[in-house]
Amino acid sequence: MTLNQVYNGNSIDEVVELLGKYGKEAKIVAGGTDIVIALKNEKISPRVLIDITKIDELKKIEDDGEYITLGAGVTFTQIVENDIFHGNLRGLYKACRMVGSPQIRNKGTIGGNIANGSAAADSIPPLIALGSIVSLVSSDGVREIPLEDYYYDQVRDNELLRSIRFKKPKDNQVLNFSKLGLRKALAISRLTTAVLLEFDENNIIQFVRAASGALGKYPMREIEVEEYLLGKKIKNETIDGAVDALQIAMDERLKGRSTLPYKRTAIVSILRETLESGNESKNEVGAW
Amino acid sequence: MVNIGLTVNQKLFEISVDENLRLIDLLRDKLGFHGTKEGCGEGECGACTVIMDGETVNSCLVMAFQANGSNITTIEGMEKDGKLHPIQQAYIDAGAVQCGFCIPGMVLSTKALLDKNSHPNRDEIREGISGNLCRCTGYNKMLDATEMAIKYMEEEKE
Ligand SMILES: Cc1cc2nc3c(=O)[nH]c(=O)nc-3n(C[C@H](O)[C@H](O)[C@H](O)COP(=O)(O)OP(=O)(O)OC[C@H]3O[C@@H](n4cnc5c(N)ncnc54)[C@H](O)[C@@H]3O)c2cc1C
Ligand code: FES
Ligand code: FES
Repeated sequence: MTLNQVYNGNSIDEVVELLGKYGKEAKIVAGGTDIVIALKNEKISPRVLIDITKIDELKKIEDDGEYITLGAGVTFTQIVENDIFHGNLRGLYKACRMVGSPQIRNKGTIGGNIANGSAAADSIPPLIALGSIVSLVSSDGVREIPLEDYYYDQVRDNELLRSIRFKKPKDNQVLNFSKLGLRKALAISRLTTAVLLEFDENNIIQFVRAASGALGKYPMREIEVEEYLLGKKIKNETIDGAVDALQIAMDERLKGRSTLPYKRTAIVSILRETLESGNESKNEVGAW
Repeated sequence: MVNIGLTVNQKLFEISVDENLRLIDLLRDKLGFHGTKEGCGEGECGACTVIMDGETVNSCLVMAFQANGSNITTIEGMEKDGKLHPIQQAYIDAGAVQCGFCIPGMVLSTKALLDKNSHPNRDEIREGISGNLCRCTGYNKMLDATEMAIKYMEEEKE
């Protein structure tokens, strides 16, 4: 198909209507940092493009006291520059801060990071660790799906990814993130882990949600790591045990892949760093 | 074709463009702002950097129709009354320009950085230009140039 129709979307309703009308002939363009390259290389060839960067509602970061909602068009720069993400949400800040370059962060959006579907999308593991819910709209209504399940039922041709929301961490919870891999490294080698930890007064982990990037086909929740950590204190041997648990899960998942030995080794320091910084930062955030 | 209107370097342009045109092609081929360079065409090198609505962007990753209603500054918009911008002057005085290919993008990234943070330290300057690759200089001269530019701009204010 040749591209012969473009729209500057003015509102969510208008975009949803256009998506309903054109279906799979149309593609959304947000920051363009993935899709413009795909268009140039003719990896995709939609007939219609719909720009959503001028829709204010999609660019909002809302905090209602209980939930934080990010519009799909919120850029990495907006997250990096917003104080809400500098305390116990620092893991999300770190992930966004490490994306590409200033120019990429100025344009690249959270919605694009999700919808693009890459295994190495950096904002996803922290958002999974936060238990985020994705909100998709179409002319049929609103569909909501936990981000950890999203990859198995991704945005449909007639849907706009509208927002993503998560419960604000409690004062005694902290989110951390670590990433291996340079910006220019192949996406596949950009390993990440994100862990949300909650400690009790004796420093015992009483709640944990863990997620990884580039350790599978998609970013995913790491249940084995969570099960291992729950009820323990962060000590050297706990970290070793968590690494073992993750490696066993990876062995199963990446069986026979040439990247497994590399990832198996590389993940040791990444998970260690995430857990150690989680442990250290617990004294700096909130009221303990 | 689609009709768009945008402001480039304080001047309004109304133009009809191809649906699949990128902003860099619009700036270079249709509007004649050849200071904007295309290196990689994939967001890696920053040679195509322009300032769009106050923020640096890679113009190779923006579709021309997306710039409808936007306000854009290219390197040609930096000089005022026939005089180079202090950042441009500092780049020359510090010897930060060799082949020059990266310089338009580099200067615009430096401007965007100083607009947000008027006294960055060397690490912050490095970070500010981290999306701009230079094959010639090794970057230290850019840090010197930026520090020099900060001085020039302060002197200008006095
Ligand atoms: C040089 C470079 C470095 C990069 N570095 C990193 C990095 O370190 N980490 C990282 O995670 N990513 C990185 N990226 C990838 C990219 O910047 C991110 O994936 C970004 O989040 C994409 O967002 P976007 O708004 O630019 O998406 P676009 O390119 O506009 O869109 C991407 C896809 O999502 C769809 N889409 C976008 N928004 C919506 C929506 N609201 N509803 C439905 N569909 C939608 C589009 O149709 C398209 O298919 C890099 C890219 C480049 C070019
Ligand atoms: S040409 Fe745009 S970043 Fe290299
Ligand atoms: S001066 Fe030659 S690329 Fe920078």
